[in-house]
Amino acid sequence: MGLEKEFISLLNQHQRIVNKVCNLYMDRHADREDLFQEIILQAWKAFPSFRGDAKFSTWLYRVALNTAITFFRKEKRKPAVFITETFPEMPAENEDSLEEKVKAMYGAISMLSKIDKALVMLYLEDYSYNEIGEMMGITANNVAVKMNRIRLKLKETTAQQLAIND
Amino acid sequence: MELDELKSQLKEKLATDHTGRSDADIAFLLRAKTNSVIGKLKKSLRKEIFLGVLVLLPLGYIGIASEYRSLRIYFSVTAVLCAAFLGLLIYLIKRINRLSVDILPVSRNLTEIVRIIEEFIRRYFQFTMALVPVCLIFAFFLGYHEPKHIDGLDHFVQLQLDARWKLWLVVIYLIGFTVLVYYFTKWYLRKLYGNYLAELKECMKELTIE
Repeated sequence: MGLEKEFISLLNQHQRIVNKVCNLYMDRHADREDLFQEIILQAWKAFPSFRGDAKFSTWLYRVALNTAITFFRKEKRKPAVFITETFPEMPAENEDSLEEKVKAMYGAISMLSKIDKALVMLYLEDYSYNEIGEMMGITANNVAVKMNRIRLKLKETTAQQLAIND
Repeated sequence: MELDELKSQLKEKLATDHTGRSDADIAFLLRAKTNSVIGKLKKSLRKEIFLGVLVLLPLGYIGIASEYRSLRIYFSVTAVLCAAFLGLLIYLIKRINRLSVDILPVSRNLTEIVRIIEEFIRRYFQFTMALVPVCLIFAFFLGYHEPKHIDGLDHFVQLQLDARWKLWLVVIYLIGFTVLVYYFTKWYLRKLYGNYLAELKECMKELTIE
């Protein structure tokens, strides 16, 4: 029971991580809920092996990304082009334009492959290329190459989307 | 528009749109059922082990206690094959358990899952195909050489058919049954895990290409 309490308390402090991964990988609310549940279950099963030599957040990222990447939906759905749900408040200056850009970029990210999404997620969380490489099981050099390619892809897709909107 | 320019806004966007869960909600989720393919594979392995043990007991009993020599040999061989398959299923369950406890890097995790599923598919197929000669050729051979009379078998032997026709009937039956089992097993396994394996391999390929 002590272990369960400890796990729940740690997870409650870090549940934003799980939510971020679910938001990134699933576009439908019901799918997000399923993935959320699956990540929690996988984390709980693996929790006894968490020894605290890594940060809980890093460990939880690993569990969440492994689960999201190997999570399989039988029925294929079209990738979300743009997610138009609740949006956070943006700075007042050029509010519309910035919001549009963020929306376009977010849409472009949602069209990436599962692996590229994981790389972007860890990059946004300010992990170094070495740390990302360690989590993904590839070299830091490979991460750098992939990130450059992803940046270009995102730039192109975002520009196309913004051009269509204008 | 660069990714880095929008980093903080994107982080903020990703963190929104979620329901905050209470401790009780999370505690409830810990008792929920898994939806992952590997979780379902584990569940199906458990069921197969249970059914395997259930089948193994009568097979072993007949293999020892039957009055017919052919049935004793037939059921003993089938029981040995079943026991070997059960051993493999237990080994696969252990590998899945280890996988859910060790949090591996993404690429190793993908490799492990692919290996487990491929091993399951390969062995399942081998086991099914190994049962074909045991069920058919071996059974015919043993039945033919059975010193005692077996009613059903004797009925077939005594059918008023030409010996050549009887042979053709047996050969067509053997080939038809083997082909059916071969394609059905392949189709069934591909239907269960084919798409998932293809998706995982695609992720693995993407990770390894620089």
